[in-house]
Amino acid sequence: MYEQLASLMSRLMLQTGLTDLWWGNIVMIIVGGILLYLAIAKKYEPFLLVGIGLACIIANVPGSDLIKPGGLFHYAYQGVELLIVPPLIFLGIGAMTDFGPMIANPSLVILGAAAHLGIFVALIGAKLLGFTLAESSAIGIIGGADGPMAIYVTMKLAPHLLPQISVAAYSYMALMPLIQPPIMKLLTTKAERNIIMEQPRYVSRLEKIVFPIVISIIVNLFLPPVAPLITMLMLGNLLKECLLVDRLAETAANTLLNVVTLVLTVAIGSTMNADLFLNFKTLLIIILGLVAFVFGTASGIIGAKIMNKISGGKINPLIGSAGIASVPIAARVSHVVGLQENRYNFLIMHAMGPNLAGVFGTAISGGIILALIGI
Amino acid sequence: MNLTDSVESAVLLSIIDFFLSFVFIAGIGVVLYLFPWLNKLGEVKEDKL
Repeated sequence: MYEQLASLMSRLMLQTGLTDLWWGNIVMIIVGGILLYLAIAKKYEPFLLVGIGLACIIANVPGSDLIKPGGLFHYAYQGVELLIVPPLIFLGIGAMTDFGPMIANPSLVILGAAAHLGIFVALIGAKLLGFTLAESSAIGIIGGADGPMAIYVTMKLAPHLLPQISVAAYSYMALMPLIQPPIMKLLTTKAERNIIMEQPRYVSRLEKIVFPIVISIIVNLFLPPVAPLITMLMLGNLLKECLLVDRLAETAANTLLNVVTLVLTVAIGSTMNADLFLNFKTLLIIILGLVAFVFGTASGIIGAKIMNKISGGKINPLIGSAGIASVPIAARVSHVVGLQENRYNFLIMHAMGPNLAGVFGTAISGGIILALIGI
Repeated sequence: MNLTDSVESAVLLSIIDFFLSFVFIAGIGVVLYLFPWLNKLGEVKEDKL
């Protein structure tokens, strides 16, 4: 009787995940808990970190069917792996973005390139640390501060590094309000932070309609490797700006984007399994990602300082850091740091120009990398 | 010339990419400078859309 009971209990025990649990799972469950804490208690990008955090915890509870083939998180990851999710995210972003500030001030688009030095610092750093050129390039693109683009380039160059790179990219994007301000203040003077910029010009409806069409042609012509993402961004924007298909624009910007964000976050979180994630390479990638963000922010500020000198003091250098992309978080950081100096200095619309240009800057860098490495 | 898996290639790739990024984005800037000219072609009346 007792033997039978022990045998049944033993069999029951084997059905649970307890026998496969190891300390790595515990560490990753704590990491997932920290992400949830940052999202819920500190309100850092909760739309991203809630899904990532919980999926990370579930991915480290052995026995969970959700991440196995047949489970919902597994299929969510298929959407990322097959590059279905990133273009759909861009469609939604395009449908909710007003490119007017970028069209209104073309000279500021150059900051979208200036703020990407971090990509190359991280790329060279990763190569020096022993990663392959393809892996280094994927790690470098974290510095583009553009989640879907980082996923897209990583899936093309080093798909095995997707968990680490996507987590680093999205985590640092969420932590931008902490990472950027000290660098911005260090590299600018009080007088520079106080510069009040001229109001941008009015952008007509015709310009806003032509913009996505022209950019789609340019990107497909010159940067085919990343054209799917930017074309979807432009399609979403055309839906918004033509004012004829409100239902489609609204669905892309709200319902679809919400659904795809949900899929993306659980997909990323579910890849954070301790067996894959807990190694020295992950630590290096996390450090290199931070280096990329720091250098990108610094180079954007320095680029804006140079432009300020050339323009005779008309450009507030704080908007330079927004060129790193991460729309609209980086622009919001520029605005907030500007407000801390002068509560009547509203930089948000000025910062949105370089911020949107940063999306194209990341796409251009990613496209050139993919073209040169031969993918 | 193909890029080899070396630090030199990483540096070369970075320099080319950083330079070309400026060229491409400056090109987009130039195109955007032409946008105000579109308004001379006509006007889209939003209330009629």
